[in-house]
Amino acid sequence: MKARKTASSIGTGVPVHGSRKRSRVLRAAGVGAAFTFSLASVAASAGASTRASSPASSGGSVVIADLSPFTGPDAALGPGYLAGCFSASYVIDSHGGINGKTIQCKVFDTRGDPADAVPAARQMFASTQNLFMVVGPTSDEASAVVPIINAQKTVVFSGTGQSEFDKSPFPYFFRLTPPDIDTAYAMIAAAHFRYHYKKVALAFGNDIGSQTFVSPAIQAIKTLHMTLASNVSLDLTATSYRSEVAKIVASHPDVILTEALGPADAIFLSEVKQLNGGKMIPVLGTSATIDPIWYTAVAAAVGAQTLQNNFAAATLGIENSGPAYRTFAAAIIAEKKNISNYTKYLTHPQTLHFYDAVTLAALAAVEAKSNVSSEYKKYIKPIANGVPGATVVTSFAEGVKLIKQGKAIRYIGPGGPTNFDKWNNSSVNFQLDKYGPGGSTVLLGSVPNSEIKAAAG
Amino acid sequence: MSLILESVGFGLITAAILAISAVGFTMQFAITNVLNLSYSGVMISAAFIAYGLNVVGLNIWLCLVMAGIYGAVLSFLLNRFIFRPFQRRNAGAVGMVIVTLAVGLVLTNLTLAFGGPDNVSYTLNNGPTFTAGPFVMTAIQLAEIALAIVTMLGVHALLKFTRLGKAMRATAANLSLARASGIRTERVIAITWLITGFLCGMAGTVFAMDSGSFGASSIALFLVVIIAAAVVGGVGRPYGAMAGALIIGVVMEVSASIISADYKEAVAFVILLLVLALRPEGVLVRTSRA
Repeated sequence: MKARKTASSIGTGVPVHGSRKRSRVLRAAGVGAAFTFSLASVAASAGASTRASSPASSGGSVVIADLSPFTGPDAALGPGYLAGCFSASYVIDSHGGINGKTIQCKVFDTRGDPADAVPAARQMFASTQNLFMVVGPTSDEASAVVPIINAQKTVVFSGTGQSEFDKSPFPYFFRLTPPDIDTAYAMIAAAHFRYHYKKVALAFGNDIGSQTFVSPAIQAIKTLHMTLASNVSLDLTATSYRSEVAKIVASHPDVILTEALGPADAIFLSEVKQLNGGKMIPVLGTSATIDPIWYTAVAAAVGAQTLQNNFAAATLGIENSGPAYRTFAAAIIAEKKNISNYTKYLTHPQTLHFYDAVTLAALAAVEAKSNVSSEYKKYIKPIANGVPGATVVTSFAEGVKLIKQGKAIRYIGPGGPTNFDKWNNSSVNFQLDKYGPGGSTVLLGSVPNSEIKAAAG
Repeated sequence: MSLILESVGFGLITAAILAISAVGFTMQFAITNVLNLSYSGVMISAAFIAYGLNVVGLNIWLCLVMAGIYGAVLSFLLNRFIFRPFQRRNAGAVGMVIVTLAVGLVLTNLTLAFGGPDNVSYTLNNGPTFTAGPFVMTAIQLAEIALAIVTMLGVHALLKFTRLGKAMRATAANLSLARASGIRTERVIAITWLITGFLCGMAGTVFAMDSGSFGASSIALFLVVIIAAAVVGGVGRPYGAMAGALIIGVVMEVSASIISADYKEAVAFVILLLVLALRPEGVLVRTSRA
């Protein structure tokens, strides 16, 4: 008779060597360790407190929550926003805090997935009594979490470029980054007017945030009478894109437009180089590709020199000189113990813009004499856009001094002037950046608004 | 047409990685009776061990061997201190699946904690690109295929020509009878964990080499493709896993060139479902008439 092979039969009749008690202890230790590590990993992915309150001010602290991806394919985004929070809070805390309260920057990891972002947002509200504002929701999770944040009457400055927020119905929602549609136009405008490329290949990640560039890019290609050589979508969970790359290489494009975060662009571009006979096809990226984490991954995969010679990105215009920038830069350097790879964030567009976001909100709170969103929200737009007779200030310290004198101010930070429309969206200028040695960012020039308008048709 | 033929070449590369992974996975199940869902966790942690050694200057091929040794030791210890004790307490098949899943999550998150969220790449020279008709491969990809072939031949030789291999086959076929015949099955199982763990560690490193850039979460879906390859070939059958890897690897890549690359993994699962529906014992197993 053939014995059935079952899981239980393996243990039957096997002598137990040594002490049963020792085995139980070892087993319990193993399970306990596994459980502890599991808890630790879950805790690490939930709210993580960072940057203890500075002793510069008295009277407790307020929390600025960074609700964005710190793990998963879009893990590069969260640290950039957090660097903006750290640098702004350094400046603010050094000058009395927000109405006497220092700032604590706290991380709530959305993993770049709405299914994880909603519990993270709910946990943020449940665990944070003194929440001042929220920074960060990206295109991956904004649609899911912005309504929740708005319902809690909390100011949120978001990094999403999704077109559904172009006419946002959420009064607590503010956006300093351009709509993705404008970024796509800027990329095509640069490809056409600056580089005179004719055949364009599109290779964007299959996540929400990246796919929003595709339709406007295709429209702009048609408008400018260029040729769409190929259009592939990159699965961010894939470990190889050889078939996609073969399609692109076979279509002989002059340039590849891309944004695919995580390891995707690194894998994709290294395979482009391999399958194109060792030569890189020129690449134009979005502002998300001007990022130290993206640079590290792609430079390691294709070679730093190859990346420097063949890559540019249409990104948000920033001021990298002047008093506003100097204050920001000094703050980043002062906070370097909290910011990994801090030098790379000195010209990181999102970091500068979220530094401005925190500073704007802080000044609004000082004006309102309140740290409650519903009370200070109405001062954000006038301070950002300016009112007749407003004095331009470039730092929190300058702004507070004039507010206390009863004067109207307009804050212009290193991200440049803000012009909120009635939906709390601000238009920005675009510039072209490339990578220099060591991953530094080199400005190539601006993308004129006239060219972007021509691409938009 | 040339695009389709080119993708057959890509499929061979994917098949090579799958073969090393799937053979180790299916041997573990066949001999130890553990459906080890922590397999991918061991793979990716081994890939990071190889990365750590590569960063300090060790040649990638030596890193591959060291990752294999790490995989062997880790798999042995996991069985010794976690899987085996649960089996002895009659955890049952479903219970063991949950245990291995939990261990896999712990390993992946530990890799994330120690390796960081950034994506990394090995320092290696891809070598020249060779073109033969529609096929385009770099020297490193050819080496990966060669490694897979050598590994398969090694597994074949182990199972066919050695006493240990015979004992492994006997243990897989019928544990009680093997024990009754004088085979030290506990020892065979322990050695199986060492050998398949070595394959697992190697597979993780080859996977990462092929990716060009990888992170702790890179391997998330790959385990399901490994399982698909193992099932297509017949669960618990190493030769079936080799065939399954070839089928799955080639069909995935060819489908990407015909339909869309977005459906690559879906195609693998469709094949899996078809095989389970039409030939659940696997494509290589001859069914005998009743």
